[in-house]
Amino acid sequence: MISGYIEGIIILICVNSIAAMGVSLLTGFTGIFTLGHAGYMAIGAYTAAILSVRHDVPWFVAVIAGGVLAMALAYLIGVPTLKLMGDYFAIASIGLGETIRLILENWQSFTRGARGFPGVTNFTTLPVAASFFLGMLILMRFLINGNYGRAFKACRDDYIAASLLGFKTAHYRVLSLTISGFYCGIAGALLAGFLTYLQPVMFDMNKSTELTAVVVFGGLGSLSGSIIGTAVIGMVTEVFRPISQYRMLIYGATMVLIMVVRPEGIMGQHEIGPRLIRSIFSRKPRNEVDGAHG
Amino acid sequence: METLIQQIINGFSLGSVYALIAVGYSLVYSILLFSNFAHGGFLVIGGYICYYTLAAVGNNIWVASLLAFLGAGVSAVLVERGAYKPIRERTNVTLYLLIASMGMSIVIENIFVVTVGGRFRALPPVIPMTPVSVFGLATTSAFDILSLIMAMIFLIGLQVFLSTTKWGLAIRAASYDLKTAGLMGVNVNKLISIVFFVAGLLAAVGGIFLSVRYTLYPQLGLITIKAFVAAVIGGLGSLPGAVVGSLILGLAEMLTAGFISSQMRDIVVFGMLVLTLLWRPTGLFGKHISEKV
Amino acid sequence: MADPILSLDNLNKHFGGVHAVKDFTFQMERGELAGLIGPNGAGKTTVFNLITGVYSPDSGSIKFKGEEISARKTYEVISRGVARTFQNLRLFPRSTALENVMTARQQHFRYNFFEAVTHAGRWSGNEKKIRETSLELLDRVGLLPVAEQAAGTLPYGHQRRLEIARALALQPELLLLDEPAAGMNPEEVQDLNGLIRNIHQDFDLTTLVIEHHMEVIMEICPRIACMNFGEKIAEGDPDYIQKHHEILKAYLGEEVEEC
Repeated sequence: MISGYIEGIIILICVNSIAAMGVSLLTGFTGIFTLGHAGYMAIGAYTAAILSVRHDVPWFVAVIAGGVLAMALAYLIGVPTLKLMGDYFAIASIGLGETIRLILENWQSFTRGARGFPGVTNFTTLPVAASFFLGMLILMRFLINGNYGRAFKACRDDYIAASLLGFKTAHYRVLSLTISGFYCGIAGALLAGFLTYLQPVMFDMNKSTELTAVVVFGGLGSLSGSIIGTAVIGMVTEVFRPISQYRMLIYGATMVLIMVVRPEGIMGQHEIGPRLIRSIFSRKPRNEVDGAHG
Repeated sequence: METLIQQIINGFSLGSVYALIAVGYSLVYSILLFSNFAHGGFLVIGGYICYYTLAAVGNNIWVASLLAFLGAGVSAVLVERGAYKPIRERTNVTLYLLIASMGMSIVIENIFVVTVGGRFRALPPVIPMTPVSVFGLATTSAFDILSLIMAMIFLIGLQVFLSTTKWGLAIRAASYDLKTAGLMGVNVNKLISIVFFVAGLLAAVGGIFLSVRYTLYPQLGLITIKAFVAAVIGGLGSLPGAVVGSLILGLAEMLTAGFISSQMRDIVVFGMLVLTLLWRPTGLFGKHISEKV
Repeated sequence: MADPILSLDNLNKHFGGVHAVKDFTFQMERGELAGLIGPNGAGKTTVFNLITGVYSPDSGSIKFKGEEISARKTYEVISRGVARTFQNLRLFPRSTALENVMTARQQHFRYNFFEAVTHAGRWSGNEKKIRETSLELLDRVGLLPVAEQAAGTLPYGHQRRLEIARALALQPELLLLDEPAAGMNPEEVQDLNGLIRNIHQDFDLTTLVIEHHMEVIMEICPRIACMNFGEKIAEGDPDYIQKHHEILKAYLGEEVEEC
């Protein structure tokens, strides 16, 4: 059917999309900007790897455990740091992401540090990746389209107004971070099962930046946009792999260009669906408010 | 005891270099209220200009430095005009500037990777490294003392610029409220360019010293993240804070390296960042802005 | 006043050196429609912020339905039946008018996290009710035609009405309106007066209105309190306030233009 190479790209896109969904919830829908979510992926990845390789835990349990552990850490971190407003939480997230990576790198006895952790079974096949992707997408979509989604968006758009509508904004912010931690943890665990080999440097600030960048590219407040953004970056990475030096240059230049030319991203705040198609084909004026917030 | 004094001097030396970078960084933050992650790029530009000029004009550090300062300053202005100005004119969402600055940082780093290659380059020994004895208690190198002195000279120079010149006054006014400064007749775009030029220049000074200390390579700019942590500890937007934070950070790093282990250095740095944010997010000297309901 | 629904007693609030609210005492009976007037900076919005828990008073008490709420957090006050609108409008601009109202409405038709992500249990019934009752509210304030339009793109007058609809969606017992007529022309003000009177009657609300527009206050509020420099300087019915206005103007000059 499809070649192993293409299959690999699709798996990677599915797995990275799961992480992107998590960041999308936090940044796009709750308005909390993060630069350290690769840390949660790292926790999920190493948890799944260590459990499955050293303790013979079945892979599915190991993956869930990875997600849960990342989620627990996100919660513990979230409670004290989400009080920080504006840029300060983003700065804290940098510190935390880097700290997690440095701990993984230096705790040689446990993680084998920078040498890398090999030997994970290749449990992330295409059906596995696709199933996780679809399942978690549906859960996220349901969440965002209901009462919780409206609460998150209220906290994003005007947290004072939100509190004056009776919302415990601190609670929703922590919840959003916790869920995003879970998603990134699962993605990291699945990544371990795909690459079969882990190194802390895979989860450095570049990875964190990439996660946030794809969400911004796709459009803050658009779940489908985040997935499209992930797919585009995933494919561009592959296309430019032969000239990987230039790849990074182009990647950085693209980031700058998008911010200058179309900061609201590919999808703005629209989702793929009947409403979008209707609005493309209708002749009514677009109801688009400037995607800027904050 | 000797190690302690040794590490304290090393700490101040490293901290003073961080201070040059952190101050430029905080200066930009105080005006535009965003963290310019491309700041490290200016540092690297300064380093490479210095390196190639030294090779070209035969180890004249003064000429090389001057060119590096100008080059980095001008690059900073170009980056601002080309990438940041269009964004800040459209929207006041600092998130977009932040992401653009990240992209810019990647671009600058990789321009060097693609053109001159990523290998480590040692600068010719134009800055003396001879050991110097300090009060007979410890030895340090002339380099450390020189970097400390140069940092102080530039920082004092900056202070003089800010407190006595017309543009210095404008910058201080703008750091309270950019919009109002503009309404008072300050040419805001020109002011921002001047600020970026100064920030680039200071970064270049730091870059030259760091290149000598650590050798020169495209990713050297990543060290800016430590200056960034220093700026946060001192209080984002506060220049004295940036200096104090840098010295504290330099000391902490060197004391950790000397008495615990070299690997723990970075963990201590980020640990201090997290602690600062949990305990006192506005840092030692930062200002707190609250929103009107 | 026996058994007032809202009782503010000797409220004080300082901001640095500024004594924003000074020994402010005021009560409201259930079902009353009252006005709070005063020049800019008199402390009126601060009083609202104190009631809703955005600020906590330095001293004094705030009782709502007999319960002391001065130490309560904002969401606790709101969940006890208070709602407010804002001087400078705080809608969610990127959400539609309907979504704005639904965000408030959902407080009364709850379902939990599990039900939300699986669409099980109460989700279907409650989502439907949230949507239907929100549409009804929009219809009430005449905004049904623009229900699916982004709130930030609506004309100013519509936005003000939307904010009122959103506040009503909370089913409050006490409604605080902060300068609802700001920026409106005389015709819109008349419509607003009608709207406030209607919702006050139909929803059996206790309503406190801050306003500068004397046409609103004098016409619809049977009782008015006047503030200046944080203090209540007069309280009474419209006639009394009018006369008081002349006296005070003579006494204190331009500072008290409003009373």
